[in-house]
Amino acid sequence: MSNLLTSSPFASRDEAAFLAGMNEITSWHLAGCPEYRRVWPGWSAVRQLEDLPFLHVGVFKRQLWKTNASGIQHQRTLRSSSTTQATASMIALDERSSALQSRSSAAILQELVGDSLRPLVILDHSRALRQRGEASARIAAAMSLRFLASEVHFLLEDDDSIGWERLAVILERERRLLVYGFTWMLWQSWATAPIPETVRKLLDAAEVHFVHSGGWKKLEQARVDRKQFNAGLLSTVAPTSQVTEYYGLVEQVGIIFPLCEAGFYHVPRWAGVLVRDPWTLETLDDQPGLLQFMNILSWGAPYHSVLTEDLGRVAPGDCACGRRGLHFELLGRVPKAEIRGCANV
Amino acid sequence: MSEKIHFFATPHRCTAAVLPFDLEEWLRQWSGLRRQMVKHVPESFTRDEWAYLVAFLDETSLRQPFLESFGETISDSQARPSALIRPRGLIGIWLPNTVSLLGPLTLILASFSGAPLWVKAGSGSSDLTAAFVEYSLRNLQPGALADYLREQVRIERFDRQDPRNSHMAAVAKVRVVFGSDAAVRAVHTLPHPADSVAVSFGNHRSEAWVEKDALTEDRMVALIRVFAIYGQAGCTSPGRVVVLNGTDEESRALQESLVRLWPKAVRTDVPMHRAAGNVMEFQMASVQGWHAARFARNGGVVAAGSIELPPPTGLMTLPVVPASIAEAITFLPANIQTIGHCLRQPHDPEWLRLIAVTPAKRFVPIEAMHHFGPVWDGGNYWRQFFEEVEFQP
Repeated sequence: MSNLLTSSPFASRDEAAFLAGMNEITSWHLAGCPEYRRVWPGWSAVRQLEDLPFLHVGVFKRQLWKTNASGIQHQRTLRSSSTTQATASMIALDERSSALQSRSSAAILQELVGDSLRPLVILDHSRALRQRGEASARIAAAMSLRFLASEVHFLLEDDDSIGWERLAVILERERRLLVYGFTWMLWQSWATAPIPETVRKLLDAAEVHFVHSGGWKKLEQARVDRKQFNAGLLSTVAPTSQVTEYYGLVEQVGIIFPLCEAGFYHVPRWAGVLVRDPWTLETLDDQPGLLQFMNILSWGAPYHSVLTEDLGRVAPGDCACGRRGLHFELLGRVPKAEIRGCANV
Repeated sequence: MSEKIHFFATPHRCTAAVLPFDLEEWLRQWSGLRRQMVKHVPESFTRDEWAYLVAFLDETSLRQPFLESFGETISDSQARPSALIRPRGLIGIWLPNTVSLLGPLTLILASFSGAPLWVKAGSGSSDLTAAFVEYSLRNLQPGALADYLREQVRIERFDRQDPRNSHMAAVAKVRVVFGSDAAVRAVHTLPHPADSVAVSFGNHRSEAWVEKDALTEDRMVALIRVFAIYGQAGCTSPGRVVVLNGTDEESRALQESLVRLWPKAVRTDVPMHRAAGNVMEFQMASVQGWHAARFARNGGVVAAGSIELPPPTGLMTLPVVPASIAEAITFLPANIQTIGHCLRQPHDPEWLRLIAVTPAKRFVPIEAMHHFGPVWDGGNYWRQFFEEVEFQP
């Protein structure tokens, strides 16, 4: 496992080592998590990734999974932001996994935004940091950039507007910023918000690297595409500014799948992706289906192999962007159909 | 519409029905619609739903409410009526958000009162009732039934806060309310005419009681079909299968048979998100201690286990539990509606005694679990569409 984490996240990898790592972590969870054992009774190590056990992403909304083993100390519970769904996923964080997850996200983010320190501006409320025993996925995603920050500022006011005056104070002394926000919030609170003239002038001279994640559902409903989104953000800042998007899910904490200029999301070498047919669960090559993600970082609970309800397709060959390894297209969520019947369900 | 008198008789009673239509003509019109219906399934309906509607419009089936409520049709010359019935007046029908065939079925039955109908469809769902009426108007021969559907039936979609709810309740002589218990209560507490009638179809559950020796392959296929239409979303779907006086092994054997027979019984795939969701439900049922198995193509989950386990939650998850008859009665849900049976001797009078001590409203073969009729949820609601006049010449 540690060998996989020592090289660049998007270098080629030893597939046998990854399979061995997945077999090891799966056995670990089977030994330490009775609920997991009930789902996958009688399992033994496999020779190919598609035969590895997985949990459906929805089971993390139904109960808090934990693997108890020596060296595992559970800490806080990470909760999905649940902006569009009624129930949040719950992930039990632990020290061992958190250390690996921090290394993972740091390595990937460094590859995306460089390693120079600059102020990190987070489009969120600072109060989200003060909840005891729990952390929101949104804050966790933002704070994964902390190692690149010379200082951290939370910029959202209680009414979800941006504290432009506070931003002006930062811009008076710093001309390079890292700004993180959920995709929808960046659009709503920054790209389409009225920016005070004094702040606009300061921003004109500021080189901003916007980083966003969280999905496009609300923006699709508002008929805003990626091109419009990027143009909207970049029109507010200096021409050398950039926008970086990544895909991630709370049930794969620490794993960041950056979107490249060729339009594909890239899988770090300590993670994996498969596509499964929703009706047969057979793995699909070069065809769309349910995305399944794997990683070798998650030791405190069996979220190391998760079948999602996101649709995607693994792209064949090498990516035009030059990164090595697995890359995939994201095709959206599985469409919901109406429930028919008369009972209360 | 001109009024016509029809006569019905039981061995002890003759009833005159003054209806604003000719019953034989309406029976012909409704049942004649089937000739068109069998040719094509409209987009709004599933094949199962459409097939059920076609069967429901069979002339014999349509005569059933009159037969059960007033007796056989007799000719004028034989008639010595002691009662007269006539439509009570406007019937308001509140339909639930979880759409189902209950809308069109209720509309068809209510049309045989000849009373005007005001139907509130669910605001957050597709509307099968309006779709069926539109289909009927396109395909019925010109005549009294088409005129009735066009002029006397009003279908609207609105939510529970809409002022039209109050208006409907204020003018309806009969309020038929489907939905959650809270929704039913809310409608009936709206101001309404003092002489109006309330018909309540609240939240109910159903289950199947089976005996191992009665479970032929055909009957297992029937059990799958009756479950697969709506899964746990149907108030008349089997919420669980109780293997009477069975063992854990017999439950498991039934589970295996149901898995094997699923492809024979169900020819269409569930929607993609349901297939994916069934993987989750399979895993959660396993976590809860059920011995779970997935049906072919992730069409659903069948979970064998103890009757005392917390019920699995999946919309398409069917629990199979062994239980003695006493346990089966003890563990019946308080809001049990239908017990579908597959028994060696269902005519044994002992079943009458047993069902009498349960709150069940129906005890029918599993094949008939979804069969909607004039008697529902504990009473003959269809008869309530008419008022009765004592008539002594």
